[in-house]
Amino acid sequence: MFSTVKSILFVTMLSIVCSSLLTLAATGLKDYQLRNVAIDKKINILKSVRVVDDGYALTPVIIEKLYDENIRQAWINVDGKIITEQLKSEHDLPIYLYVKEHEILSYIIPVDSNGLWGRILGYLAIKSDGKTISGFTVYSHSETPGLGGEIETSWFQNNFLGKEILDEKGNFVAVTIAKGSVEKRIPKHRQKNFVDGISGATMTGRFLSDGLTQALIEYEVFSKRFRNQEITTLKDF
Amino acid sequence: MKITRTKAFRVFFTPIWESNPVSGQILGICSALAVTVQLKTAIVMSLALTFVLAFSNFSISLMRNYIPRNIRIIIELTVIATLVIFADQVLRAFLYNISKQLSIFVGLIITNCIILGRAETYALGNPPFLSLLDGLGNGLGYSQILITVAILRELFGAGKLLGYQVIPASLYAAGYENMGFMVLAPGAFIAIGLIVWLQKTVAKEENDGKPH
Repeated sequence: MFSTVKSILFVTMLSIVCSSLLTLAATGLKDYQLRNVAIDKKINILKSVRVVDDGYALTPVIIEKLYDENIRQAWINVDGKIITEQLKSEHDLPIYLYVKEHEILSYIIPVDSNGLWGRILGYLAIKSDGKTISGFTVYSHSETPGLGGEIETSWFQNNFLGKEILDEKGNFVAVTIAKGSVEKRIPKHRQKNFVDGISGATMTGRFLSDGLTQALIEYEVFSKRFRNQEITTLKDF
Repeated sequence: MKITRTKAFRVFFTPIWESNPVSGQILGICSALAVTVQLKTAIVMSLALTFVLAFSNFSISLMRNYIPRNIRIIIELTVIATLVIFADQVLRAFLYNISKQLSIFVGLIITNCIILGRAETYALGNPPFLSLLDGLGNGLGYSQILITVAILRELFGAGKLLGYQVIPASLYAAGYENMGFMVLAPGAFIAIGLIVWLQKTVAKEENDGKPH
């Protein structure tokens, strides 16, 4: 009986000590952690429009500065109109605009795709012509390192540069990850809608293709307005 | 007395080579497979594990005369889990990029058999200072294998070390190719197997002639 009481007392004491230590650590470090997450997001947005190459080599202060100089966050409604944070409703989609002297150079759409083992999160930047891809980044995934995990490498992401989401007749087709090399597998007139696949990662490619298509369909209304040159500067806000 | 003869010295150095937890006792293999694709992640993982191991040994040894025997495993796990979560929080705050790459494997240090094994077999029966040394020694023993395997895998798998290109472009031009196999888990198995083999061979030669 006595030993049971002793055990319970001991465990209670230990739990209190451990949990207060962890609470201290978690609250003390929370600001740093949230800052890291925010910086990581900004690095990836900047990477998708190629303002930075490898953001992890830069200090957070420089990242903040570059982000504030180049990127504006906004939302778009069902008609593809850009709206500010105050006016947004819950159906509106977030969008990031790469702006130089009031001129919109690219718009960046968040990509939330399924993967083989988990979600793939990233950003796809499209030029203000509404069809040419100007960059793609992945900031979170759980694909197999060395195979599907290659989606986070620059050789794969650079494949997206200059690809288009319209076919040669001007119809929307999105962009697809080919199985293997585009040059060998895809007929010439469709090559600009495909990017090179990763060998050994066919499934990751298929999931990511679906995810990209899904994201592009959601933002198609907005892209159309760019193609019709209804939006060119940020004054159309 | 020579320093190499002291008990503390032996406690610290034996696990680094002679009875290395990974290559000698074949413990902690799972994380050794998972985080050794790159040298950077392997080093951070080694530091995290050494930290957890040293302090879990130390604190359990401090409490060893008070821990009720019937619930000792629960208590050991509570201490270990606290330290692991703490390490994970620190990594997230100060080494975010690497902690992202290590993802779940920092949390999985809790289930690393080396830590519970040392707590059970050493810290429960020895004073705090020696337990701390034992923890450090075992942690460094683990680190040594992890880092060796990571060097082999990153060098042959990607031609890089710590993210810097080591194998010159001219070699690739001459037809050299990265060993894709090394970046997969079986590559680590083979690397660890070779280290175990090397270690056993050397240990055998050292022991030859001595009575067992």
